[in-house]
Amino acid sequence: MSKSKSNYKWGMVIDLDRCTGCSACVVACQAENNVPVVGEERSAEGRMLHWLRIERYWDGEYPHVRARFIPVLCQQCDNAPCEPVCPVYASYQTPEGLNGQVYNRCVGTRYCANNCPWSVRVFNFHEPEWPKPLNDQLNPDVTVRSKGVMEKCTFCIQRINRGKMKAKEEGRLVRDDEIQPACAQTCPPGAIIFGNMADKGSFVFRLSRSSRRFRLLEDLGTEPVVIYLKGGGREGA
Amino acid sequence: MPEEEGLKQKNIQEMNEKMLSSIRPPTGKWVFLAVVLGAITGWAAYAWWVQLSTGLVVAGINRPVMWGFYIINFVFWVGLSHSGTMVSGILRLSKANWRRPILRAAEAMTVFAISVAAMFPLIHIGRTWKAYYLIPLPNSMGLWPNFRSPLLWDLTAINTYILGSSLFLFLGMLPDLAVVRDRSVGIKKKIYTVLAMGWRGTDREWSLYGKASTIMAALIVPVAVSVHSIVSWDFAMTLVPGWHSTIFAPYFVSGAMFSGVAAVITLMVILRKAFHLEHHLREEHFDNMGKLLLVISLVWSYLYFAEVLTIWYGHKPIEWEVFIFTADRYSFLLGLMVLGNAFITIPALCFRRVRRSVTVMLFISILVNVCMFTERFLIIVPPLSHRNVPFMWGNYSPSWVELSITAGALAGFALMYTMFAKFFPIVSLTDVREGLEMKKKLKIGRSTVNARIEGE
Amino acid sequence: MEVLGLFRNIETAAEGVNNLLGENIPEDTVTSLSSVPIPKGTVIKRDHSAWFQWVTLAGGVIGAAAGFLLAAGTAMLYPLYTGDKPIISMFPVGIITYEFAMLFAIIGTIAGMLFQMRLPCFSKKAYDPEITTGMIGISVICDTEQERDKISGILDRSGAVRIRTDEEVK
Repeated sequence: MSKSKSNYKWGMVIDLDRCTGCSACVVACQAENNVPVVGEERSAEGRMLHWLRIERYWDGEYPHVRARFIPVLCQQCDNAPCEPVCPVYASYQTPEGLNGQVYNRCVGTRYCANNCPWSVRVFNFHEPEWPKPLNDQLNPDVTVRSKGVMEKCTFCIQRINRGKMKAKEEGRLVRDDEIQPACAQTCPPGAIIFGNMADKGSFVFRLSRSSRRFRLLEDLGTEPVVIYLKGGGREGA
Repeated sequence: MPEEEGLKQKNIQEMNEKMLSSIRPPTGKWVFLAVVLGAITGWAAYAWWVQLSTGLVVAGINRPVMWGFYIINFVFWVGLSHSGTMVSGILRLSKANWRRPILRAAEAMTVFAISVAAMFPLIHIGRTWKAYYLIPLPNSMGLWPNFRSPLLWDLTAINTYILGSSLFLFLGMLPDLAVVRDRSVGIKKKIYTVLAMGWRGTDREWSLYGKASTIMAALIVPVAVSVHSIVSWDFAMTLVPGWHSTIFAPYFVSGAMFSGVAAVITLMVILRKAFHLEHHLREEHFDNMGKLLLVISLVWSYLYFAEVLTIWYGHKPIEWEVFIFTADRYSFLLGLMVLGNAFITIPALCFRRVRRSVTVMLFISILVNVCMFTERFLIIVPPLSHRNVPFMWGNYSPSWVELSITAGALAGFALMYTMFAKFFPIVSLTDVREGLEMKKKLKIGRSTVNARIEGE
Repeated sequence: MEVLGLFRNIETAAEGVNNLLGENIPEDTVTSLSSVPIPKGTVIKRDHSAWFQWVTLAGGVIGAAAGFLLAAGTAMLYPLYTGDKPIISMFPVGIITYEFAMLFAIIGTIAGMLFQMRLPCFSKKAYDPEITTGMIGISVICDTEQERDKISGILDRSGAVRIRTDEEVK
């Protein structure tokens, strides 16, 4: 509900017609954002830490089985239910429409995780480890979180900030193709499009007006910003 | 007549001695009990230390069930803390005469239960060492907590309730502390003198005391109602299907009173046995507490029925899915809860013989509390396991750390209570004596009746 | 100075009070001491108006203001948007205001009551430990030694078991 006076309103469109479920975006996100590796055993216990996940459902009976998959990430809701419940303001609405997560403020009550309808928020159940030489791969632009802290997709805010700073130095606004989160950059078929929804000429804005558009759990009224486009013969479209 | 008076003096002295029997020097049995309880609490502290150093991975918490046994314990203990308020506050206000022996035990239970409950938010958060972020203290980092969050309402309400119920307990104890002061010697006498604040029992003191007790009872009851409503709103303010229900506040408050009254009954049985208070905690007290428990059980059952009715009739897919999941996967626990809280308890408590039997009341009260713990589990865990997005459904089972800390909470509570009974009067001495002395037998018509005396 | 006479029961204590009043000792210097509250009027006929109730009310009002400033005022100082909730949301502010009002009212009641009772008292007061075993004490405040002896005499004649003064207290 922030009265945005900003020139930027970040948004994302995911075209399910193009998505192949290859999970390159998941790996890219993990690499870019210093997401700890949890391991198979811990993931089976339910402690997985992927900021972006490929949800996979099976449809139909053998031999006419289809896999339906959809990448789900933080929907950066305009009326985010995860924000008002955090007792320490670790989760708040930035003026550009992003849902900000402040790692060093989080005390780990996990209330935000309970209130996220898509369960996209992840929690550091244990101290993350990067045994040498894996620590060399850490991204210096992104904090490394300790145990007890909540984290989630930030639309690669470090890249957004870098892009905005560069544009400001040059005295202009950010151009349409200038900032790309790791997932959008990596996606081979180009299913993930990111950009400035406030710019009516941007690719993401034009795609968002498609007749194939839908949002996840729209009826809850949280105004998710991620728009999905039906396709791939999987939605009956 | 002087011999009669002398006898009366001696009787009162004996009665004081009897009711203060818990303050005797510790016996071997007491020390053994304290050591056992201390050991369990110590083990729980070790389990917590393991969790603090390793992280919440040692608990059973996972995605999506981010709240588990710790929050169940939190809600349960806040519920238990409504014991004193219900019994002491409401019975004081309604001037029910049979409240007298139970008051102190119930008020002490409130203070210790809410203290135990206040530990659980610290235990369950990921970074306990940063818990001070929740406190609104001006700081150089320009940070402030979020009062829109139900957890901050929790902090405020529990803070109010701890301070309020401690003051309520202290107020009730003031005349009794004077009695203990008068019969102790040495360093103990000095301590009790300070605590009794120079109470002499002048008519001015009694008059003001009576008014203050009534006002405090009238203030503490709304605070108790608000505390458990606020705890229930931790759940009701979310969008989790099965939690987002308007009935949560009255439902939780009735559940808390249910749990609290049952706990007082359990405590009455234990104290009666441990301190030989058979003369003061008689069958009529259990009878009346049983009637109170019956009424609250009816209220709880009605509210639960109303909630399930709404879910069943509306048949909203997600909410119905959660309910069916609960009934399917946790059918034993659900059945136990409904049986224990409603279908066994209500018919049983309708019978006078049941209410007057101390053993059966012990069984029923423990059954009620076990079922209320189960109820908290069934409210918290299944809706989290089975939420909007089926890909993220998951299950939960408690780990050794959570079970140890649960046991430690119970042991810690019992230990605090045992310590309290050793140093402070556990029976509300003055109230009992007031009840006995303000009675007279009057001959009216053909028989002699009991009459209560009231001032002008 | 204070003289304390100990009586075995309400009847003898009342007789003592009547005798004191008969010798023109003003009733407002006489109080009863007991371990259980005696029914009003049976020994001492005096109405104690309780002004500490106003302290309760004042506490409630101050607490409400404190709660409102804490929830609404500080939210204005640290305006961070969370979800669709306004910076000053009426429901949370109402809850915090209510809790603080009740807290301050409760503390005000106890503090006011203690203040009006003039407890804790640091000056010497006449007292006997046997009061807590059921004896009723009648205490009279007087100014001169002569009055003290006179009052002791009256109490003695009325059947007091023991006489104590505030000078005996260690």
